[in-house]
Parts: sequence; structure tokens; C-alpha cells
Amino acid sequence: MKNQLEKIKKDFFNAVTEVKDALQLEELEQRFFSRRSGELTQIMKNLKDLSGEARQEFGKLANEVKRELEEVFAKKKEEIKVSEMGDILEREKIDVTQPKLPGKERGHLHPNTLVQNDLEDLFTSMGFMALDGPELESEYYNFEALNIPADHPARDMQDTFYISAQGGSASGGKNSNSWVMRTHTSPMQARAMQKYGAPLRVVVPGRVFRNEATDARHEHTIQQLEGFVIDENINFSHLKGVLDVVAKHLYGDKIEIRLRPKFYPFVEPGVNGEVTCFLCAGKGCRVCKQSGWLEIFGAGMIHPNVLREGGIDIKKYQGFAFGFGLDRLVMLKYGIDEIRILKSGDLRFLRQF
Amino acid sequence: MLISFNWLKQYTGLPSSTTPEEIAEKLKLSTVEVEKVERQGKDLKSIVVGLVKKVVKHPDADKLKVCTVNDGAQDWQVVCGGSNVKEGMKVAFGRIGAKVRWHGEGELVVLAKAKIRGVESFGMICASTEIGLGDRFPLKEEKEILDLSEILDIGNWKLGYELAKVLGMDDVIFEIDNKSLSNRPDLWGHYGMAREVAALFKKALIAYPIKKTKKQDTRNKQIQNYKLQIDVEDKKLCPRYMAVAIDGIKIASSPDWLQKKLLAVGLRPINNIVDITNYIMLDLGQPMHAFDESKVLKSIKSVKSEITVRRAKDGEKFTTLDGIEYELKSENLVIANKEKAIALAGVIGGLESGIGNETTAIIYESANFDASSIRKTSTRLGLRTDSSARFEKSLDPNNCELAMRKAIELTLELCPGAKIASKIVDVKDFHLQQGPIELPLEFLHKKIGVEIDKKEAIKILANLGFEVKEKKGVLLVKIPTWRATKDISIAEDLIEEVARVYGYGNIPASLPKFPIVPPSKNELLALERTIKEILALEFGFSEVYNYSFVSPQLLERLGIDSAGLIELDNPVAEDRPFLRRSLWPGLLENAEMNLHRFDEVKMFEIGKVFNSEISGLRVSGNSDELLPGQPLYLGLVFAGKGVLTPFYELSNALAGVFERLGCAAEFKPATHELGKVIHRGRQAQILVSGEGIGAITEISPSFSERLGVDSRVAVAELDLDKLLSLVNDNIQYHKISQYPSVVRDIAFMVDKKIEHARIVFELKKIDRLIVGVELFDVYEGKNLPAGKKSLAYHITYRSDDRTLESAEVDAAHAKVGEVLKKKFEAEVRCVL
Repeated sequence: MKNQLEKIKKDFFNAVTEVKDALQLEELEQRFFSRRSGELTQIMKNLKDLSGEARQEFGKLANEVKRELEEVFAKKKEEIKVSEMGDILEREKIDVTQPKLPGKERGHLHPNTLVQNDLEDLFTSMGFMALDGPELESEYYNFEALNIPADHPARDMQDTFYISAQGGSASGGKNSNSWVMRTHTSPMQARAMQKYGAPLRVVVPGRVFRNEATDARHEHTIQQLEGFVIDENINFSHLKGVLDVVAKHLYGDKIEIRLRPKFYPFVEPGVNGEVTCFLCAGKGCRVCKQSGWLEIFGAGMIHPNVLREGGIDIKKYQGFAFGFGLDRLVMLKYGIDEIRILKSGDLRFLRQF
Repeated sequence: MLISFNWLKQYTGLPSSTTPEEIAEKLKLSTVEVEKVERQGKDLKSIVVGLVKKVVKHPDADKLKVCTVNDGAQDWQVVCGGSNVKEGMKVAFGRIGAKVRWHGEGELVVLAKAKIRGVESFGMICASTEIGLGDRFPLKEEKEILDLSEILDIGNWKLGYELAKVLGMDDVIFEIDNKSLSNRPDLWGHYGMAREVAALFKKALIAYPIKKTKKQDTRNKQIQNYKLQIDVEDKKLCPRYMAVAIDGIKIASSPDWLQKKLLAVGLRPINNIVDITNYIMLDLGQPMHAFDESKVLKSIKSVKSEITVRRAKDGEKFTTLDGIEYELKSENLVIANKEKAIALAGVIGGLESGIGNETTAIIYESANFDASSIRKTSTRLGLRTDSSARFEKSLDPNNCELAMRKAIELTLELCPGAKIASKIVDVKDFHLQQGPIELPLEFLHKKIGVEIDKKEAIKILANLGFEVKEKKGVLLVKIPTWRATKDISIAEDLIEEVARVYGYGNIPASLPKFPIVPPSKNELLALERTIKEILALEFGFSEVYNYSFVSPQLLERLGIDSAGLIELDNPVAEDRPFLRRSLWPGLLENAEMNLHRFDEVKMFEIGKVFNSEISGLRVSGNSDELLPGQPLYLGLVFAGKGVLTPFYELSNALAGVFERLGCAAEFKPATHELGKVIHRGRQAQILVSGEGIGAITEISPSFSERLGVDSRVAVAELDLDKLLSLVNDNIQYHKISQYPSVVRDIAFMVDKKIEHARIVFELKKIDRLIVGVELFDVYEGKNLPAGKKSLAYHITYRSDDRTLESAEVDAAHAKVGEVLKKKFEAEVRCVL
């Protein structure tokens, strides 16, 4: 019996080296390990015919052989599996550069929305409350409350869209001549002051209107983002600090700001703000007209007349205000050279964002 | 406005080492926008004095000549078409490489060696217009070249000298943005600008050069006899009017120095008198006017002249000196004699009273007019002049006097025979608020955020012309008249003066300190953003921004009644005068345009619409008048090739939005006749918590065909202000049942009119074990009787307290079939 066992072992080792694939492996398994007819199974079955010491001795030996063969078999099985899997992986190779078919077109947010969201988030993170206001505004809020007197050039028909009297007023009044399409987001200064009082930190994104002929650089409808802060010890240096934060947020830490005098009736002093041209790093290029600076905002200390209109105690409080043309920021950011495309509704444009 | 560097230098007292660029930089950072700094004659490089040595006829062209020109170094063969070219003439010779403008038009071109009708030409003999000197040396005939020997004492200049040097074009011109000067009436002349520049460089301004006028000799008989009478009817519109008559005038060209000054800043010299008025305007910023005394007024001999400053009569006709007739209104101020208007006050002179070559006596006007009246007049008539541009900035009436004195001085100087023929009449009624303004130093520091040395602050103000006294930490600042017309009136204005000259760049940036109170949230903006993200990022819609204005043509095309729409008084283009009350017309236009290029269009817009039928905010803090309502709307459009029911694309996207917002929404069939474009069979009202907030509809196919769109189009629109009040964002977790659910299907045929929502409603009521009813197939058409549809649903059964027996489920599922039969006359086709 012992010899028989040795022979099985020898046969197994011979056979196992012949095994090349899963099929042969299964044959091998059948031949030696099959429950019914396996050679090894058979000899193990014969164990029960022995008795006593012989049984014990042979049993031990047979088990050792069985364990050994099983181990070799398992190893062989793993080998075959690995080689066959390797083959599958090769056969199932795909073109990873190919897109999924059919594709699914994703949607696109308007670039103005992207830039506006970004700035809104920056300002709310600094504790600014975001407000929205009417686009059709009263002359009072659009002009008077902002220290723009009746004969100021800004009120010219060339700059401002007025609303016809026929439009009728919601309250039944016939006083519609005093309505305009807001020319800036600043009417919200007085509205916010009247509603919330001081101190105040507000940012107002929104659509504004200028009555002018359009071309590649001029549009009668644009998006603005305005901010203002009113508190007890607010000063010009703070205005500069906040604008510096915004500029660096938009264009990176190396960007500097430069303020230059500019007249706006609702601020005093009034400035326009420039940032280092981020395209040429201030060296001068076509976009910054060789100046190294890009003009991106208007700002200033809120005029006492405006604070007064808002019901703010000007002995106690002062404030600053600033505004950005979002369209301009968008155009600079994405290199758009035609402002009218922003409102063209052209999917060839919108799908790029 | 153009400012001459040389002119400025006369007054600033700056060291000669100061460059124009330094001045421009300072002005930019502290005062105005300098758009350009341009060196005169920079385009005259390689244009030199040349001598025409020989002229022969061109062999192949009648009108051309072949000349030999010497440029000091050598002879050149040059083909020339000049009608006046002749041997021995000194000319402006453009060497190869020079820049010229062909026939005085178009862009500059660089000269190259050329062959003209077969003859080689090395350079060009230039006409004045070809090298930008047309204003200075106007052409007398079309093909005339510039004859230097005629216009200059050229003897001292050698051949080959640069023409720019020969002509003394050594100035540098600043181009200043007029808009940036709108609040600075004092900067509209060189002297005022010089004052500003001097202050920026911390230098004292040089006193204005004017001869002491001798006390007017009123004993002179002629002066005594001549009565120049001025009546100012409206002193508010004309706070000051000065006039003087001067006799013995001989009209001639101005001297070279004066012409050069005018030309440097872009003004064409006309004659001595007109040039003087222009010079005064450019020098002192005070517009002046000269009338021909004899043409408009009774002649000096007749002893009396009357000028009235009055409002025009409505419909009064007036012809300007350039020959254009205008019809005036009573808001326009005119200067008139007894018969008619002779000038439109502060804007432009009249045709008949203008200075001509035969003029021998003049009347000078140096006046001040109300800024907004001038602005209204010039805007309404579309007449913007150098004069009106200045008056509308609120000029200092005190300046009239200096201007008049200087004008007289120059006239007597330039016209040797001239004599003052009248008294200098001065009718005035004005008062300027010159302060003093109190400026506490502490307030200055508090506003700027940095301590500026007291002495420095005082010096800055003093250099700008303010008189400053100090009293216990408070500066008492008297405003100079030229800043007192409207520019400076409160302490904040003075702070700006100090800060800008001190330099905004020298004020450090710092961040304000605030308590860490979070800002209150703007729910509507948050809702807007959430919806945008869901639609774009989950449902693949693209966001569009359309105009708030809508054209009557579009509305008409869409069959929308424009009655009741709010209208613009002054639309930018006549085709878009209404304010949109709805977003979908714009979206439909977007779809129409994009469908020419894309198979599928899925777009949305969130924006305000305008509706006079609802009330908005107050027009002012304490008024009862309300603005029209301006709700925020969401609009969507869908169209896709082969998509037969785009309605469902929109209802699906909106259902997704409502689900994310935690809203209970439903689409209820609507039958409103919303206009001819609507597909009556495919429209729904959108209800959230039972309240109508919008609608979805398809466009009638016959209509989209007319738009040239061959796929079906659906649009939807809802009111986000209304939606906001209904959002509850209250998603509750339902515990997952430990017992399995059983899904059974049922398919049946019903009348097409039976709505899915009704079926679901009924089925859910049948048994507590039914926890889900899901439609998974709809079929109409072949194999079904007309007017019928086949529906198939998955019905999910589950109990939260036990595992269901199949008998229970069978019983419940049987009830489903019965209910369908009873309620909807359904024919059950298959039960699984």
C-alpha cells in the first residue's frame, strides 16, 4: 500500500507538470481527488480495511501525502488562474481615451454667475450680508438719496432709461416719470441703511442699466457687485485694506492695488481702483494698454449726505463703498473681448464654462 | 482736453529737469486721467528740409514730374505730383522710412523705394496734409506741396535739418480725459492746470502775467459818448456779463507764437481776434466771445449799443456761425440786440455777428452762465462746444474780469491801431460760499486712518490756493473762488484734497475689526443658487442671461399682447422698448437661434420680471407710492431632435428641483388659452403645497414650424418669490423596514383622458399595505382601440410589523384590479 501511495504521488507530480490550463487542471483534480473515483480518495478509503498500528502508521503517511498533493494542486490552480486572468485582462483591454457613448451633455452656469458666486462667498465669509434690490427704481433712490441732484449730468436721458408714464404705477399714482432703470446698485445703500441702520456690512450683486449704444466694449445692461461698510471707526485705510483682500482673492497674492482720484457724487473722497495687470504681471500689455494696471472698481468714503438720507448718525458713523463691474471681471478672467456675447444666449459661448 | 507742456511750464516754476512723464504720473495719481503723453513731431522723423535742384517732366505721365532733391547729404530722384513744385524751392522732403498719410487720408504709411509709372522714386516731397500739418499750413489748392521758403524764414536752416526742429515743434501734449475733469471747473485752462501741477510738486505758482491796466480814461470823448448798454434779464442764468467795445481793429493772422500755442492743443488759427478769444479760453479757462460791432449793433458812430441777455422766445430761430439754424425754447438763454439773438449764450455765436475780414470794431464778451442751463441747451440742441463744455462745469464768475483784461491787453498788442471805445461794462449778481470750512485735524485723521502732519496738510491746502488758519486743532479753511462754485463745500471735500495730494499710495491698507457675528442669510439668493446648481449640474441645463427689455416685434410674433407692459421712455434701440413680464419669450428666442446649430437645447434663466399689476417697494422712505412688482422668475426651455414630448423633460427637471427643496409639488392640467403659441393639450399649472407658482407648456407645433423650428419645444416659468415662501426643506428619514416588500405588477387599458396622478391617488388609498405605486410603461397606438392607452405599474406591498403572506398580497392586488375597473373602467390586461 505504501508503494501504491508512492506511485500515486509520483504520478501526481508527473501529471501536474503537464497541466497547462483550467480544463487539464480539472481532469487532474478528477483523477486524484474525485470523491468517487479519485486515486487518492480510493487509497484513503482503503485505510478502513487496515487495523491497529498499521492503520495508524499508514494513515499518518497518507494524510501527509494528501496534504502535500493538495498544496501542490492549490499552487498549480493559482498559477493557472493567474495566467488565465492575465489573458482576460489583455483581451478585455479598452481604449481609455474614448468617451462614453452616448455621451451626456452636462449643463453650464453662466460665467457671470460663477464670478458672482465666488465674490459673494468671499464677502459673506467676511460677514457681509448679501442683498438684492429692485431693478426698476425710483429717481429718489437712484439719484437723490445718493447726492446726485436734479441737474446732474448722470441724470441725462443719454445715461438713464426712464419709464414712460403709461406704464402706470402699482399704487395708482401717475407719478411714473420718477421711475428709472437703476443705473447702479447703489440705491441699495439708502434702502439698506433705512431698513437695517448702522453698523452695516452689505454686498449687493445685481443688474444695472445704462442708456448707451452698444459695441464690443459697451453694453446697456451689465452686472455689478457693490459693497459697503458703515461703522464707528471706518476710514480710508480700511477701504484700501478690504479692496486689497478682494484683489488678492481674484488675482493672487502678488497683486497690488492702486487708488486714484475719481469723482462720484455719492462718495468723498472718491477713487477708482486699479490692480496690477495679472496678465503681464504689471509689465504692460495690450489688455492693460501698456500701463501695467487694470481698472476694475470705483470706491470711496460714503458721502455724509448719503448717510444722512439713510438715517445714519454722521457724528457717530462713517463708511466706505465700492463697486465692481462683474462683466468686466468675467471678460478679464476668461479673455472675452466682446461684451455683448454675455447676453447673446449663444450655446457655443455658454458651453465653454 | 489737450494741455501743452511748454504752456504749462510758463506758470509752474518747475525745474527744467521735470519731464512730461513725471507730470503725467502725478496728475494721474492725484488729479485727473491723463490718457496720452505725446511728443509733437514724433511722426515727422526722417522728414527734412530738402532743396529741389531740378524738375523734369515724367516721361509717362502728364501730371507727374521727376525731381532731383538734395537733402544735405546727397541728391535723390523723386517723382512728385505737386502742382507748384519748381526748381530752387525748399521743401519738406520725406526720406525713405518717413511716415506719411497718402493724400492726407487714412493711416500713416512708411515710405519705401518705389517705381512710379516706370520711374524710380527715393522718397517724397510732402504736402502739409500728408504730414499732419494741414491745420498749420492749409492747402490753397489740391495738389500743392509745402513750400518752406514761402512760409518760413528758412535762411538759417540748412538742408537736411529735421522739419520738426525747423518748425519749433518741441512741445509735449497731454491728452486729458474730459470726464475726469467734470468736477474741476478750474482745470479747464492752462493756468488752472499749472496751479494744480505746481501744488503736486510742492511749488508755488507763478503769478499770472498781466499788465497793470491804466485807469480807464473816461474823459475820452468817444468813450463818454459811446453807450454800451447791457441788460441782463435773468441774473440767475447769467450771474455776470462783462463787455467792452474796441475800435480800430484790423483783422489779420495771429503772430506765430499764438498760432503755435493754439495748434499745439488742436485748435485751428483763424484770425487775430478769434484767436485771442480762444487763447484766453485755453489759458484761463474762461470762454470769451467777440462780436462784430458794426454788423450787429448800431455802429459806434451812432453812439449807442444795446445788448440784452434774455431767455429765447419759444420757436425763436437762431443761425450759428457755422450756418446751421436751430429753433429755440424759452429754457435757452440768448444774447440779443434789439432785433434778434446774436449768440446762444455760452454755447456758440451767431452767423451774422461773427468776426470777418472786414471787421473794424468789436465787442468782447466775458461772461458767466448758469451751468445746468448751458448743459440743457447744448444737450437738447446737440451742440457741444469748447465753451459749453466749460460753462457746464460751473465756472468762477470772478475769472471774467481777468480774462477780459488779458483779452484787451492782447488786442491792443496785436492790433496797433486798436482803441478801447467804451467803458468796460460789468453787470453782476453773484455770491460764492467761500467758507471758511472747519476741518478738525482729528476728523481728518479719523477719516483717512493715518496721521498726516499738520504742517503738511496746511501746506497742501495752501498750494492749492486755500487760505488756512489754525485754531486749537481745527483748520479754518477759506475756499478760493475757483473751487467755490460747487466743487468744495464741506470738510470731506477738504479731506479729499489733502489725501489725494498726500498720495493715496502713501496711505497704508488695514483691515477693519468687527465682532464675529455671521451675516444674516439672503434666502432668495440662496434659493436661486441652489436651483441653478440643480438645473445645470444634475439636469444638464445651461444658464442664459437675457435682456430685461423686449421688443414689440417679438411679442407680436409670439402673439403676446403688449398692453399693460411697462414701457421705456427712451429705449436705446427702438425695437426693445418694453420691460419683460415673462422670461419665456427670451428663452424661446434663444432656442430658435441655437436649434440651428444644436440638436438639443436645454436652457434656463433666473431673472427679474416687471409687473405693474403687483406692488413692489416704496419709492422713498416716507412715500406711499409703490414701485411695480419685480418678482424673481425661473424660466426654462427644452427642445431636442426626436424628443416628442419635451414637456416631460421640463416636468422631470422641475420635479427634481422640488424634491431637493423638500417641496410637495404637482403638475395640474391647465386649459387656459395663454395665446396662440400654446399647445392647449400640453400645458400644466405648477402647484406647490396647493399654491399655483407657475406653468409648463409646449409650444403649438404649427407655431414652432413658423419659427422655423422643426422639433417640439417646451417652456416653463415659475415665480421664485412665491416658491421661497413654500420651501420647507424638511426632509424626514423613514426607518428602513426589517420586513421584505413584495412587488407586483399590473397592466391595464384605460381611456386616454384618465390622468396618472388620479390613478396613483386612488391606488394608494386601496390598502395600507401599498407603499409604492410606480408607473413603468405607457403605450398608445397600434393594437389599441382609438382613445385608449395602456399603462403598467409596479405596486409595492409591505408591512412594518410582519412578513407578508402571499395570500394577503394576492388579496390586495386583486383589489387593485377591481378599483381600476370600477373607478376608471379599466380593462386589466395582465397581472403579475
